[in-house]
Amino acid sequence: MRNILLQISNITKSFSGVSVLHGVNFDLRKGEVLGLVGENGAGKSTLMNIIGGVFPMDSGTMELAGETYLPKNPLVATGRGIAFIHQDLNLFSNLTVTENLFIGKFPHTALGGIDRKKMRLAALEYIKRFSLPVEPETVLGSLPAGIQQMVEISKSLMQKARILIFDEPTTSLSRKEKEDLFATIAELKEKGISIIYISHILEDIFRLCDRITILRDGRIIETRETSDFTEAALIQGMVGREMTGVFPSIEKEVLKSVLLEAKHIKWKDKVKDVSFAIRAGEIVGMYGLMGAGRTELARVLFGVEPIDEGEVVMNSRSYSRLNPGLCIGEGAAFITEDRHREGLLMTKSVDENLGLVKMSRLLNWAGVVDRKAVDTFNQFVIRNLRIKVADSRHQTVNALSGGNQQKVVFGKWTVNDPKILILDEPTKGVDVGAKLEIYSVIFNLAKGGSAVLFISSEIEELMGTCDRILVMKDGRISGEVAKPEFDQKRLLELALKNDN
Amino acid sequence: MRLAGDMPILPLFVASFVLAMCFVPHFSTIYNLRNCLLQSADLLIISCGLTFVVLNGGIDFSVTSVLALGSVVGAYIMALSPLAATPAWSIPAALAAMVGIGLLVGLVNGFAVVRLKMPSFVATLATQLIVMGLAVQFASKVSQTSSISGLPEAFFVLGGEGKYFLVPLLVALTVFAVSDWLLSRTIFGRRVYAVGVNPKVAFISGIPVRKTIVWLMVLSGCFAGIACIIATARNQVGMASLGDKLFLTTIASVIVGGTSTSGGSGGVRKTLVGVLFITVLNNALNLLGVGWYTSMIVIGGLIVLPACSSHLLNGRNSRR
Repeated sequence: MRNILLQISNITKSFSGVSVLHGVNFDLRKGEVLGLVGENGAGKSTLMNIIGGVFPMDSGTMELAGETYLPKNPLVATGRGIAFIHQDLNLFSNLTVTENLFIGKFPHTALGGIDRKKMRLAALEYIKRFSLPVEPETVLGSLPAGIQQMVEISKSLMQKARILIFDEPTTSLSRKEKEDLFATIAELKEKGISIIYISHILEDIFRLCDRITILRDGRIIETRETSDFTEAALIQGMVGREMTGVFPSIEKEVLKSVLLEAKHIKWKDKVKDVSFAIRAGEIVGMYGLMGAGRTELARVLFGVEPIDEGEVVMNSRSYSRLNPGLCIGEGAAFITEDRHREGLLMTKSVDENLGLVKMSRLLNWAGVVDRKAVDTFNQFVIRNLRIKVADSRHQTVNALSGGNQQKVVFGKWTVNDPKILILDEPTKGVDVGAKLEIYSVIFNLAKGGSAVLFISSEIEELMGTCDRILVMKDGRISGEVAKPEFDQKRLLELALKNDN
Repeated sequence: MRLAGDMPILPLFVASFVLAMCFVPHFSTIYNLRNCLLQSADLLIISCGLTFVVLNGGIDFSVTSVLALGSVVGAYIMALSPLAATPAWSIPAALAAMVGIGLLVGLVNGFAVVRLKMPSFVATLATQLIVMGLAVQFASKVSQTSSISGLPEAFFVLGGEGKYFLVPLLVALTVFAVSDWLLSRTIFGRRVYAVGVNPKVAFISGIPVRKTIVWLMVLSGCFAGIACIIATARNQVGMASLGDKLFLTTIASVIVGGTSTSGGSGGVRKTLVGVLFITVLNNALNLLGVGWYTSMIVIGGLIVLPACSSHLLNGRNSRR
């Protein structure tokens, strides 16, 4: 048994009553690379944030090199030698390499000014020691992503890191940069630094890691030597979430007419040639891991981002250029992933939010807002969607619960009587009861003849609500599963596996 | 309670008005009150226009330059141009030119903000400098003195000369009423608020964000043009320095009234109270023999006031 650097026992954590981690145990050995895998929402980020001092744990113990470790804040974690290499880097792209290396503890002169000379010399030494291919004065933002990451790694080593946590480090790297990163990780390991490596790319996990831990539903499923795992076994461990959710049983019919069709859609390097068609009354799920390009696809379909190539067909009319106004004209509605920033005017009243989408139906003959009609309509929407609000004219939406906020987002679109719905994670941050109500809303819209694209990271809700599920991976549709063949393992395989 | 919470400045205005009526010598005379109202007419018009821009989280520095250029060009048309001989032609032409200049400046501002993606702070600062420079150049080209006089008598009606003192007030109230109606009753008004709070949400909800912003800038410019008519008629001369001290008073009226500079909350009703308050304050301080610079200190203090009061209100009642 090699010596254990970090020992984690029985950690639990819940957020506003929802339990995210239920008694997690694992250990990290000195100089090893430990892979951490799990579906979206398995609790990986929460666990890492607890180790990094971002949130406190509810119960459990952590021991770092034999001593109790209880980080109050991220600074304590850094001080004890734990460093995070984030997906989006923690660096200042407008500052130079040197300034980034020393940020937070600039050497200063007797007068209190920054001692630039000393800083530059020290930076040069570090640059040499870590063989960074940069000049100390280079502005960080002008460097390629891979080099920026190297700077971040060097910075954590300067702070004497003993444990480096990599969270999806390769998402923005080129193939070459990825190879360089792997070489660096191998060197770090040689130096006795321990690494926790989180990734969805199983191939990389198999290549890099000494051991692999599977996390599912806030529990450690198993930890074993990499050589004891096969890819199939790994996937088997990641799925198997219990189907506990209850879904509304509403009879509906899928009609012949296609309302929404995507033809060879491309957008930057995030959406690569995506085609599909959705019929009236049909709910089509879209599963995929973070960064698979689902959100980007949704935004392109609704004209929020331009279509680089391809066409969107709505109600048999083809468009190669779109904007939200045009989509609304075609009877489309878009529930974005981030209702706080893109769905609602948080500081405005429920009524004002319900009135956001063009209300041509609520104008009087002179084109002026008919207040009485608006009030009647708002009351109808509030009753219909069962939005819990006492005084919709004055109560602002930021005072509502997540579920009620999401219902207001649905409500603002119902004025338009949408026939094409694009839903991006519509149940994110919503409690179980409200989820069920949102599923009913979606079912009822489909029953009324709407075509629904339902993007979600929760396999079980997709399996419970959809007629078929498309899986996206790396900007492409990697597979499609029809209702009779729904199977968690099959879906996850499609989301994870490399085709080659 | 809601009214007071919504307009923290209203009780203050009423209090200061009553105090001024009781204690400031000559304040309560008909002559002085009439003067106050006349002075507030053009201020109200510009401030209404600026309120639209501020509701969008922007600023329009160029309003006073519209006053300057409009004033000299309008005066030129009425006093020096070939049209000057026939006031029946020259006055309408001058009015159209003044509003037209505002419209044009507004369009340029809108274009700069929407197409060139310049912050309104920068874009309107640039147009302010350019248009102001043009006004001074134009004035010195067409006339040897810094002001253009000899305007037709009929034009002074718009400035409230003699028994016509209600005319500018009616113009100002009409502008105010139209602004209020636009903001509270029309789709355009709803869009202004939505774009002001969060342009991204507005865009995804199908609101033509860029068009809305251009309209705001155009409205602000046009209103400045209308204010220019009234101010020029009241002063009875065309001059490039017409709006020199006005900008600070205008922005102060909007902010003191309670329209938030971060966008999306407020309105012209608040601005109306702000305008009246600042006018009364300026007038009363003036009558008390306090100089312009002292009133600036007082107005500066007042700008901090809404922040303080909303801080206090939020402390007591977190719902609003």
